[in-house]
Amino acid sequence: MQNDERYEDLTALFEAQDEGLQNEVFVKNVMKPIRRRSRWRTPILFGAGGVGLGAALSEIGGLWTYLRAQTPTQFEADFSVSLNALPTANVALDMTSIWAIAVVFMVMTCAVLVMTERA
Amino acid sequence: MISDIDLAHQAASGDEAAFETLVRRYQGNVRGLCRRLTRHSAEADDVAQATFLMAWRKIGAYRGGSFKSWICTIAYREFLQARRKKKFEVEFDEQVHVLGFDSLAARLPQQMDLDRGLRLLPENQRICVVLCVASGMSHSEAAAATGFPLGTVKSHVNRGVAALRKQLASEHVA
Repeated sequence: MQNDERYEDLTALFEAQDEGLQNEVFVKNVMKPIRRRSRWRTPILFGAGGVGLGAALSEIGGLWTYLRAQTPTQFEADFSVSLNALPTANVALDMTSIWAIAVVFMVMTCAVLVMTERA
Repeated sequence: MISDIDLAHQAASGDEAAFETLVRRYQGNVRGLCRRLTRHSAEADDVAQATFLMAWRKIGAYRGGSFKSWICTIAYREFLQARRKKKFEVEFDEQVHVLGFDSLAARLPQQMDLDRGLRLLPENQRICVVLCVASGMSHSEAAAATGFPLGTVKSHVNRGVAALRKQLASEHVA
């Protein structure tokens, strides 16, 4: 340190004081909330992410059933998508996209939370 | 002995034991700094604890250099925040202060003179002396931490050190 030579005598006195302040109880008090927070943070974040993912997957499954029910009717007609079915399909795809975006958003939020907490 | 930067990297990846080692290594410096700034041992330990909790959250931002300076900068900010929340007593309570360093005071009578000399300094001078002389921060690090211009920090430190030396000398003569 560039200033040491000018007041190292005083610095030595202060350091002697600091050495006398070592205390295991203080260390335990500091570490207690850190350990408690770490224990709960991960299950909560991943639990929330898992619920979001599960909800999204269940919707995708419903959509698949819906599409299987709709598709034969359309093919039987004249191998073309009827004008009535087109908006419904769009809505269904939009719903999937919304859920996909929601899942990505939740996962990203959890990741950002973890990262900013430690940044 | 594992270096501070290695411990900090381990702590940043969630290793609590590595962070505990850093706490154990720097608790004396941080608690000493907080006691000199707040002049009350109980409040000082609260500020010191808040400092380490903040350090745990921000450990990923530590990019090397002096860990002591880094943690002392956090401690100074935590002190300012605590002072805003609760106005510390301006009057010096000697009994409370002596409790903070009593064991050392018994061993080194000079420590008492040092504390006495420190409390006689004007606040900004005391802050600069505490950061640079007691906590080993460079003038530029102290300027960055306090927001004082570099020249002001140098001036405060020079005057503070001179006043402390004068105080110690006079105590010894008396």
